[in-house]
Parts: sequence; structure tokens; C-alpha cells
Amino acid sequence: MDALVGYILQDGVLLSMGLIAAGLFWVWLRTGRLAINYNIAGMNLFEFVTQEIHLAVHGAVRPRLLVNLGIAVLMLTPFVRVAASVVYFMAVLRNWKYTFFTAVVLAVLTYSLFLR
Amino acid sequence: MVSFELLFPLSVLAGFIGAMSGMGGGIILIPALTFMGVDIKHAIAISILSVIATSSGSASAYVRDHITNLKVGMFLEMFTIVGALVGARITVFSSPAPLYITFGAVLLGSWAALLFAGHKTWRAAGVQDGFTRWLELEGSYPDQALGETISYKARRAYLGAPAMFGAGIIAGLLGIGAGAVKVLIHDLIMGLPPKVSTTTSNLIIGVTALAGTSVYLAAGLINPGFAAPVILGVVVGAFLGTRVLVRLSNQSVRIFFLVILLVLAVQMIARGLQGI
Repeated sequence: MDALVGYILQDGVLLSMGLIAAGLFWVWLRTGRLAINYNIAGMNLFEFVTQEIHLAVHGAVRPRLLVNLGIAVLMLTPFVRVAASVVYFMAVLRNWKYTFFTAVVLAVLTYSLFLR
Repeated sequence: MVSFELLFPLSVLAGFIGAMSGMGGGIILIPALTFMGVDIKHAIAISILSVIATSSGSASAYVRDHITNLKVGMFLEMFTIVGALVGARITVFSSPAPLYITFGAVLLGSWAALLFAGHKTWRAAGVQDGFTRWLELEGSYPDQALGETISYKARRAYLGAPAMFGAGIIAGLLGIGAGAVKVLIHDLIMGLPPKVSTTTSNLIIGVTALAGTSVYLAAGLINPGFAAPVILGVVVGAFLGTRVLVRLSNQSVRIFFLVILLVLAVQMIARGLQGI
């Protein structure tokens, strides 16, 4: 499990950085400046991600889409890591105590990701 | 308006200093952002988002080296994330001045901790209490420096857990990793060896930061335009910082940080007292 957790964390961060950098690069190509300024209106990550996917599918691909996706991937990295741990404790190690503990963490995180 | 040209190098610097000092980027980043005119709540939100990146990045290496104790991390995470939700919620509803003062106080605490840092050698703890044993909180790890495998048993999880709740509140409230607090808890209260303390703390910090970030996202405090260069900068800076760390002498690094922490602490408290 150590290796799996390690790779999830590392790949998540790298992917997110890649997306963000790509988005910024695109802005620079388009406008010659490296400035985007906008706020994400108060919403939770779930709404945020579905909104981004919706925009992408409908062809409204702008640099900020990449940056937003990068941020979403970054936030999901620890989440995926915990989810993987739940599965691992349950299915592989069959350690019910820790399946429970990690499930609690996952539940609290899920709750927080749905806050509005 | 704060521009990328300034945000990126500033973040690299913050990440660099944070990695070198082991204090994390947030401690330097947030005061720096506020001096540039960013509102403190936005600064905190950006910082805690970047903390996910830096901590996950560094944690990934340690986990793969089998130094991190995943069970300790996951058990304690239950408490830190609730703390972070509480802390972030408080910040969202707080007025700026108390945030400045609290931040300054934490900086002062870090300064004092650094000043009085003694050299305690870790010894394997004698007795492990029943609760901690039931939690299976023990392990071993390969210590490269010592060239052997160290076994250890954690203890006093019943104290460590509520203490981590407090650490989580600080992290969520101020947008920092609060790694120093967490390492202290792992080290002094739970008796983990230093390398396990720091690496496990790193793991916990990422998840705690996510909980806090969710609250700030819901409050609409995340500005991706600022966040993007900051995240990139801090990760780059931290990467460089860990490379350089090995080459500097301990004494000069320590004095440098003592000065910086004190200056920032005084500044933040003064601004808070003046009502910014």
C-alpha cells in the first residue's frame, strides 16, 4: 500500500501542476500576459467539477478550464488517496478497524466536499 | 492588482524558505501575500490549497521509502480534519484583525520553539498503553543514516488524538500545515521517532488541508488567478529548498529563521492591533 499511496500523491500533484501550468501558458499565448483574475463562486468541489466537465463537453474550452481542472485534481488527490486506503484495508489487508477509521475520514472529506 | 510576475517569484521564495526550515510555506507565504495587498482570508485560502500540493509532494517520497506510519496517520487524520473544518469555518466568519493577531502569535510560538529547540535523542518508549496497542500503532522503518531498521511503538494515542484536533483547528484557521505542532505531538506525546514524526505529519497535513480548502471553496474565497502561480511557485520553491537544505550549516539557517520569524510575527501582530 505504501507504494500505491506514494504514487497517487505524486501523480496527483504532478498532474495538477501540469494542468495549471498549461492553463497559464495558454493565457500567456493568448494575451501576452500571465494574468487571470476571477473568483470561483462559492460552491463545493462536486459542483465545481461537474460544471467544468459540462463546459468542456460543450466546447467552451478556455484557459481557465485547465487551471480549474488543475485545482480540482489537486483537491481530489488526498481524497483519492484515502479512498484507495479504504479499499486496501478492506479488500487486501482485511483490517476492519482501519477500514472503519479510513472510512470515517473519507466520509468527513466527502461531507466537506459537498459543503455549500 | 497583484500580478503573476510578482506572485510566482514570491511563492518560490516562500516555498524555498518553508522547505528549508521545515516550517512549510504557509508561514511565510501568508504574511508575504498580505504585505502585497491580498486580503488575509484570500491569502489563507490560497495558502491552504498550496499546502495540499507541497505536503502531498513530499509525503509521496517518504511513503514509498516506508518511513511513514500509515496507521498512525489515518487514525489521527480523523481528528485533524474535523478540527480543520471548525478552524476554517471560524476564519470565514471572523473579522481580519483577530486573524492577524492569531497568526502573529503562532509565528511567535514557532520562533520560541526554534529558539529553545533542544537536542533530544529518541529512545524507544518503555510501555505501550492498551488503547494504543489496540490501535496497532507500532512499526519499524529503515533508517538510512543509522544504517539499521528501527522498531518503535507509539503510545498515548488517547492524548494524541484530541491534541491533533487542536492542531487541525490551527491549520484550518490559519491556512498553514501546522506541521510543527503535529510533529511535536507525534514526538513528545506519542513517542514516535523523529523521522516517522515528520513524514507521518506530512501525510496528515495534505488531508487536513483538503478539509480546510473545501470550506474556503464553499465560501467563494478561492481566486484561481492568484492561486495558480502561487501553487506552482510554492511547489517549485519547496523542491529547490529540500535540495539546498543539505548544504547549509545548521547554525546559519537557524539564525536566519529566528530573525525572519520574529520580524513577521511582530509585523502581523502590529497590523492586527492597528486594525490593519
